[in-house]
Order: sequence, then structure tokens, then C-alpha cells
Amino acid sequence: MNASKTAGLHDVELAALAAAGDRAAFGELVRRHGSSVRGLLRRMGADPSLADDLAQDAFLAAFERIAEFRGEGTFAAWVRRIAARLYIRRWRREGLMDQALDDQEETSGGEAIAASRIDLDGALKILAPAERMCVSLCYGAGLSHAEAAEALNAPLGTVKSHVKRGLDKLRHKLAPAGGSSDGRREHG
Amino acid sequence: MADPDFEMSLVKMFADAPTLRDSEDFARRVEARLDRGWQMRQALIWTLGLAGGAIGVTQMFTSRMLVQVGAVSEESTRMLDEGISNISNLQGSLNALPLGGEVVWMAAALGVMALAFAITRAVEEF
Repeated sequence: MNASKTAGLHDVELAALAAAGDRAAFGELVRRHGSSVRGLLRRMGADPSLADDLAQDAFLAAFERIAEFRGEGTFAAWVRRIAARLYIRRWRREGLMDQALDDQEETSGGEAIAASRIDLDGALKILAPAERMCVSLCYGAGLSHAEAAEALNAPLGTVKSHVKRGLDKLRHKLAPAGGSSDGRREHG
Repeated sequence: MADPDFEMSLVKMFADAPTLRDSEDFARRVEARLDRGWQMRQALIWTLGLAGGAIGVTQMFTSRMLVQVGAVSEESTRMLDEGISNISNLQGSLNALPLGGEVVWMAAALGVMALAFAITRAVEEF
């Protein structure tokens, strides 16, 4: 199927075509959601080149397992979960996991971000690696606390406390300048 | 304390990733890797098929299979001829009996029914 025909199809339809072996349909899915998956990996702390490699691996793994995608969630969320697990596996293989989970240091000293344009990418940089990983897994990859704990091979309580600390810091940093830090800000 | 509004906005921010400038190149790289994997798989299937075929042909020749097949074929032809000859003789014998052809066919049908019944019973018992 050519690109002009795939462009108008819904993700679920494209996934069904891909499951039947249509690589062009899968290519359209990659075009639509590649940035989302790469963005998540970067936000989890991967450098851009590693994020791209892992995102490619995640899409290839998704193609192999495309029959498992039933359209219950979004395709992007499904691939983001695969990518996040690949990144965790890489972390664990390189022995960075235990070090990161024990490390409570903030990466950039916690100084205030410029009030003019505060974005998530910038805000995530103030988190400790473990907090960043846990927050990204739970809010970016859509894993539950228990799933994140299992993926990280860490105690559930540890993951919960990293998420809580990370959220507190993000809430504070993403609050409007001069406004309250209770996090009740609309992020369009 | 949990803050559902903030958590929902965080999920939304994660989902709303900006489109990266090289997203088209990225998609092409993934497609190229898919194609490469597919071509490698096809090459592997061809190679295994050829290797399997070559091994099969080699085995056929080394085990003198063709000679044996010829011998078996000759034996089968001979047995078939004998069978046809026996049937002809049987038909001649039946014609010599003081019974009509219908009786013979009915007996055969009853025999088949009895056999079917016996098989059914055997299947039920075992």
C-alpha cells in the first residue's frame, strides 16, 4: 500500500495492515509516533543518539509483536512502553540502575528555571536520575507503580517515593512564576 | 498528596512530544532495517531450502532409492495382475453357484454392515 493511502487511515487500521505484513503501513505508524517515542527516551535521560537507536529497536520489536496490539490503548503508548523497557534493560546491563536508585543528588542543583518558558524537558533535568526514570515510566510510558518497580527490579516503596519526590519538584518548577506551587496549572 | 489535575497535565505533556525535525529520516531508517531483516529472512529460507533439497537428493542416490523404487513398482504390478486374475476367477465361481447375483450382493452388504457394527462397538468399548 502506498503512502497516500496509508496517510488517511487510523492507527488501529494501520496496525492491522502491518500485522498482515504491510511494511508501508507500519512505516506510516513510525512517521506518526517516532518523535513521541524518541522524546520519551530523551526525557528518561538517554542521549539523543542512544534514544534514536533504542526507538528504532522498539519499533522493530513492535513490528514483530504487532499482532499483540489490540487497540485497547493508543499505538504510541504501546510502543513507548516497549521503548521504556528497552531503556531500562540497557541501564541494568550497564550497571547504572542500582547506582541511580541510590543516588539522591539533583542533576542541576535545583535552581529555578527561567520563568519565561518553562517546559517539561527543562523541568525533568532538575530531577535525580532515579526520580526522572520513575516519573517518566509512570507518566510517560504509562506503567503503574507496581509495573515500574518490577521493570526496575526495585521495591515498590522505593519507586513510589521517587515518584513522589519527582512530582513535588516538577510541581514546584512547572508552577507559573510568582504563582502558587500547588500544581493547579493548565498545561495546554 | 496526590494531585490528579497536575498528574493528568503531566501525562498530557509527556504525550505531546514535539515533532523532531528528522522524523522522516528516522522513519526511513526503521523501514530500511525492516526491509533488511525481511531480505535476510528470505535469503535464509532459500538457503535452508536449497541445502535441504541437496541433502535429500544426495540421500536418494546414496541409498539406491531409485533402484528400490523400481523393484517395488515391478512387484506391485505383478501383485495387481494376480489380484485382477483372482477376481475374474471368483466371478466365474459365483456364476457357477445356484444363487442369483442379488443374493451375493446382499450378503456382501450385510457383511459390511456387520463389520461397521463391530468397529463401532470396539470404538465405544476402548
